[in-house]
Amino acid sequence: MILVPVTYKGGIFRHGEVMDLIEDIGGYIVQKHVLAQEVVLQCFVPQADVEFLRNAVRPVSGEVTDSPLVGTEIAVVSMSLEIHHLPHPSCDIAEYTRRLGAKSNMVSLARGPGKRIAQLNDEERDVINEHDLAIYLMGNFEKCIEHKMQVLRRGIEVPIVLCGGPDTDALRRIVDPPVDGYVGNVGRFMHRTKESEDLTKLDEVVAEVTRVLDARRMAIAKDPLSVSPARLMDLIREKVPAILDVTSPTPLTVQMQGLRVKLPYDTYAQEIRGIEIEEGVTIGDVANVNPSRMRDYIVLKIRPFSETNVVV
Amino acid sequence: MHAVEHFVVECPEPRGAEIYEGIANTVFLDHNLIRVIRKFHAYVDPGVMLFVAVGVLQKITTLVRVRDFANVNPLEGRITLVLANETYLAPMLKIFWERFGQDAVEQADRFTVNLRGISATAAEVEEIVVADPSESVHKDLIYALKLIAPEGFRIRREKFAGERFFFVASEDTLPDEVDAQVRALFAKMGEEMP
Repeated sequence: MILVPVTYKGGIFRHGEVMDLIEDIGGYIVQKHVLAQEVVLQCFVPQADVEFLRNAVRPVSGEVTDSPLVGTEIAVVSMSLEIHHLPHPSCDIAEYTRRLGAKSNMVSLARGPGKRIAQLNDEERDVINEHDLAIYLMGNFEKCIEHKMQVLRRGIEVPIVLCGGPDTDALRRIVDPPVDGYVGNVGRFMHRTKESEDLTKLDEVVAEVTRVLDARRMAIAKDPLSVSPARLMDLIREKVPAILDVTSPTPLTVQMQGLRVKLPYDTYAQEIRGIEIEEGVTIGDVANVNPSRMRDYIVLKIRPFSETNVVV
Repeated sequence: MHAVEHFVVECPEPRGAEIYEGIANTVFLDHNLIRVIRKFHAYVDPGVMLFVAVGVLQKITTLVRVRDFANVNPLEGRITLVLANETYLAPMLKIFWERFGQDAVEQADRFTVNLRGISATAAEVEEIVVADPSESVHKDLIYALKLIAPEGFRIRREKFAGERFFFVASEDTLPDEVDAQVRALFAKMGEEMP
């Protein structure tokens, strides 16, 4: 069963029925937002049932739209937390990807600014590698980007989408070896992205991120995961009641190949490893349960079928 | 409002120059500094990591007086001030309290202040100096230039002399030739280095 990411938007009236319907057709709700009288559900539903769901929610004035970024965790790598890069453009891009369903985290580098002095430390590298994709927000000068990218990409294993002031062709020319995506004309700027021209640039970033993530999905599909991350999320929510007391907006963050569980590793890792998924197969059998470099969280990396010989 | 006579950002990378001109413009506008700048010329070199900005300010001799932003109306033993904007309301009230006492000053609403039983005439109230904008302009300008300069350029040197100023920043030790570059940029504006 292929699950596709979609977003449901509708009124609060009878939204419980929509949630039940999504679960009944074998879907999973990743995140629920209630905004005044509106409900937004980010969910995975079986590909064959998307049209059915779209028709079924019409009577309650609901709308189902494709959201390719749902179920992804994206690192927005900013060169620093200074006013030079924040809130524009770093926060603008992080917020825009969030609107389309991604869970974005801002990773600000301790020694990111400058050219010769720029560095990436091991903690930053590991935190970025825990995500599905990293958006690198660079400055406006070709020479700086050319010099810094060599250092800042060292050890990064996740796809990188590079944003910078020079145009896309220039970025493509100066970065060697190539990265996965490029968005030009989005370097450092000091104004809010509210004009249509600025919003078009944000759309370009999202389009490039979507393209890179789609390619990643295709690669994963060639050797499918032993279990769907959304299913693991549901299971942990059911079997580990402590997760319900976590106040974070997403206590369980779904990624393309895993899950971030916002519970202390030392206390809960063993319990999570032992949870039975189906017919004696436990989470520990199909996924690596590792400590996260982000606080004391747990990161689950689901192993592919070729490693486990199991699909549950 | 005076127009800026000269506003140029130079850079070996044309696209970089264009973007930095936009950044400088936004920062000066955001910090209300464009009205005090008469000439501005900056040079950014990402090759040797150097940022040089030079400029000339407008002559800031105007003190802000009550009459500049308020109508002063004497009426039935009191003086009513109707404010056009509240930018200088707080410093004005502070001065009134010190001079006339808090009992004599009544703020009816955001834009109206009544003075009762004070010794000064309406004409004298109009002439009271409320603020001197030149006091903070240098501080604000340095802050703005720090924002405009590329991040990571933490070795800085700046100088203000009268209306002329320069600001140099780099991530490396500042080269000896920097003075010559500052002088050259002043010359491009038709000015002399302070």
